[in-house]
Amino acid sequence: MLEIRSLSKSFGGVKATDNVTLDFADGSLTAVIGPNGAGKSTFFNLITGALRPDAGQILLNGVDMAGRSPPEIVRYGIGRAFQVASIFPSLTVEETMLAAVCADQRRASVLHRRFPLAETRDRAEHAMELLGLAGKRNRTAATLSHGDQKLLDIALALVLDPKVLLLDEPTAGMGTEERWRMIDKVKELWETQKITVVFIEHDMDIVFKIAPEIVVLCYGRILATGTPDAIRGNEAVIEAYLGTEHHAGVAI
Amino acid sequence: MLPLDIDALTGCLASSACLVTQTTSGFIIGMLLFLVAVGLTLIFGVLKVVNFSHGAFYMFGAYFAMTAYQFTGSFALAMLCGAAGTALLGLIFERVFMSRVYGSDVLMQLLVCYAFVLIFDDVVRMIWGPEFKSMGMPAAFQVAPLFIAGGVVPPYYLLLIGVALVVAVVLGLGLARTRIGKVIRAAAHNPGMVSALGINTGLIYGGVFALGGMLAGLAGALAAPVRSLTPGMGFSVLIESFIVTVIGGMGSILGALIGAILIGMIRSFGSLGFPLFTEGLMYLFMVIVLVSRPTGLFGKEVA
Amino acid sequence: MTELQAEQAAVVPRIESQSQRSRYRDVLIALVAFAVLAILPMLTGSKALLDFVIRCSAFGLFATSLNLLVGFTGMVSFGHGMFFGLGAYGFGLLMQRTGLPVPVGFVATLVITTLIAAAIGAICVRLKEIYFAFVTLAFQMLIHSTILSWVSLTGGDQGLRGGIPRPAFLGIDLSNHVHLYITSCALLVIGLLLMRQIAQSPFGYTLRMIRDNATRASFIGIDVWRAKLTIFVLAALFASTGGIIMALFVSGAYPEFAYWTISGEGIFINMLGGVTTFLGPMVGTVLLLILNDTVTRLTEYYGIVLGIVILFFAIGLRKGLMDFVVEWYARRRAGTGERG
Repeated sequence: MLEIRSLSKSFGGVKATDNVTLDFADGSLTAVIGPNGAGKSTFFNLITGALRPDAGQILLNGVDMAGRSPPEIVRYGIGRAFQVASIFPSLTVEETMLAAVCADQRRASVLHRRFPLAETRDRAEHAMELLGLAGKRNRTAATLSHGDQKLLDIALALVLDPKVLLLDEPTAGMGTEERWRMIDKVKELWETQKITVVFIEHDMDIVFKIAPEIVVLCYGRILATGTPDAIRGNEAVIEAYLGTEHHAGVAI
Repeated sequence: MLPLDIDALTGCLASSACLVTQTTSGFIIGMLLFLVAVGLTLIFGVLKVVNFSHGAFYMFGAYFAMTAYQFTGSFALAMLCGAAGTALLGLIFERVFMSRVYGSDVLMQLLVCYAFVLIFDDVVRMIWGPEFKSMGMPAAFQVAPLFIAGGVVPPYYLLLIGVALVVAVVLGLGLARTRIGKVIRAAAHNPGMVSALGINTGLIYGGVFALGGMLAGLAGALAAPVRSLTPGMGFSVLIESFIVTVIGGMGSILGALIGAILIGMIRSFGSLGFPLFTEGLMYLFMVIVLVSRPTGLFGKEVA
Repeated sequence: MTELQAEQAAVVPRIESQSQRSRYRDVLIALVAFAVLAILPMLTGSKALLDFVIRCSAFGLFATSLNLLVGFTGMVSFGHGMFFGLGAYGFGLLMQRTGLPVPVGFVATLVITTLIAAAIGAICVRLKEIYFAFVTLAFQMLIHSTILSWVSLTGGDQGLRGGIPRPAFLGIDLSNHVHLYITSCALLVIGLLLMRQIAQSPFGYTLRMIRDNATRASFIGIDVWRAKLTIFVLAALFASTGGIIMALFVSGAYPEFAYWTISGEGIFINMLGGVTTFLGPMVGTVLLLILNDTVTRLTEYYGIVLGIVILFFAIGLRKGLMDFVVEWYARRRAGTGERG
């Protein structure tokens, strides 16, 4: 259970996250939406320790994550993938996975043995299979397609066996068809891995189709939470989107 | 342990004559450093290149000035030759060599600069010989020194400080107010945008390098009457102006000015209190600034 | 057992044995290299050649250790030479003042290096990119200034003079030229082997991740600061060993050993040889020393020649020699593969 309690963060007077309180139940799939600058990425950065909250708590199964460093938070079980695929360009897919498992097994500073360690093998293999990257194991990450790099980024988070997986716009920069493939993959991972998944998404078609739970952020505050149907009919949400982005033609 | 001479330092601080003399000499060191450092900082600000060969321009400025003075006997012409010659050198250096390594590794850029430090020093050795040279003080300045509050201040020093301050003001205003200044600042922030607007970035880069080279050359020319000339003379100046830019903040003109004066004072007063550890003091200061504020005193915080 | 499980069970020992085999191969290459170097004095009476190899050992260890920082971790240190100087001065002073046996002096120097490197590293590795380069350079110059000004201990700009006592131990007499030569070769080979192990260990891959993307590394649970500090200290130890060899070779220590130019040369050697292969810096060392020796013999304008060579590498090849060779070889193989 991931519980956010009165989380706040401001940058020079601008409240990027303003007194946010939210629960993510174990095994839930939640989409975070909101107009540009709503504070979605800041929200993720606070949970994962990239930013230090000004106030509030981030409780993962009762343990407060607020103020801890990213490596620590990862070890408690919150994994993340980035909006722009964050990978290791010069390592191959397989090396990336093996090295990540090494880090997870606290073997990242082992000096007396050779890489890769045999005991990291199964987990790395499993993650590559899950994301469909096994066939590209010997490719260096830099040479992968944009979509595969996003998958590798997710694989990096997933290989650590997180309790909670945060995906910052998994479909960013993709064409329509590729988007649906990616989002099907995310849904499949959620169903098979039984983990809590929270993702940021701009494409409303995708959000309303696959997310059982939706959180709407606006100016750092929670505007609404609920099922797709509840959000669709929410006056405040329509107002926020029409008020700020109606010219972009977002259909709700 | 480390040689300290606190008595000399406190003794000087108590005497107005010594205070004036040391402060003036601190300003001289600082102003020459500023002229070199401001070019370094400009080049870094606009081109994101740490011009490791910048000291060579200072050296060439001094040698050009000396030669021009020997031939013409005119101090003004000597200064002009020093500044204009190095400006041209800077332009050629940037257009022919540096422009080829912009896209690549920072280390490659440093290596090209390092190569030219070696080459320029040897070129000077070839043309002017390896021995110490001296330009001599122009007759116009061979007058009795001024006495201010009991301290000795040669008139030439006042000229030197004056020139540097004028350069600081002109540069500061030029960058802030003029159209060229705006283009240069825009190129520093977003080169792609500037070239998309149809402005020739190559011209700006070459121009900035020429300007930086000219200022370093001017510093060398101004220093020629009061310092001895030798191949490799640019090096210690480079290291010190490098410290200045790091302390002041890479890319900041005000930072270069303040940093240069600080280092000038440290050298001037430090040489009394810590005769052998004066350089060490500068490096210590640099470490402290870097650790507490990596981007320097006046540098922009990296987000 | 399903077919897949059986396959995976077979894969595990294969991986382990592969990585084991690569270690045996490295040890074998090291032994052969050492044997060849050890036979050399019997084949030639040339003292100059042996001197050359000793200098290669000192600078090779230094340059390769710098590559652990620059090439493997992406930490461009402009002050790595301080540990070369520290090794030379530390060892020289210990031997002159305490009369310890050589191996004890060696280990004590490494202990001192560890402490100082840890203290300096703890301050430096917080900074990134060019600021890390600046602060390491500042520390280097600080140490250099200290050596110059602390005359009573270091001899100031005259350096540590009067020779370094080298009492014989275990039948090894380092004042004997051949013994010194063999010892230098042994230190070089062992040092390279250890650094190779670091580069190929799980920690070595942690370093590569930090180089590629330190932010991502911290988000898979790696303590980036700790890893950087660890490699900073480890690299300092090998640089210090290089300094010790140098001190033994010249029987003294001079301020130039701690001057920034040593760091500059280290960087240059790395660029010359190439940073993407493990042996690149070693190749660079040999190249630079040969260049040094021949050019200084032929002309007094050493700087111009060296400068032109550097320009050739920086603007012409745009990469180190070994990088160039490896890429050329890979291209050629790919070319024949397509035809075949």
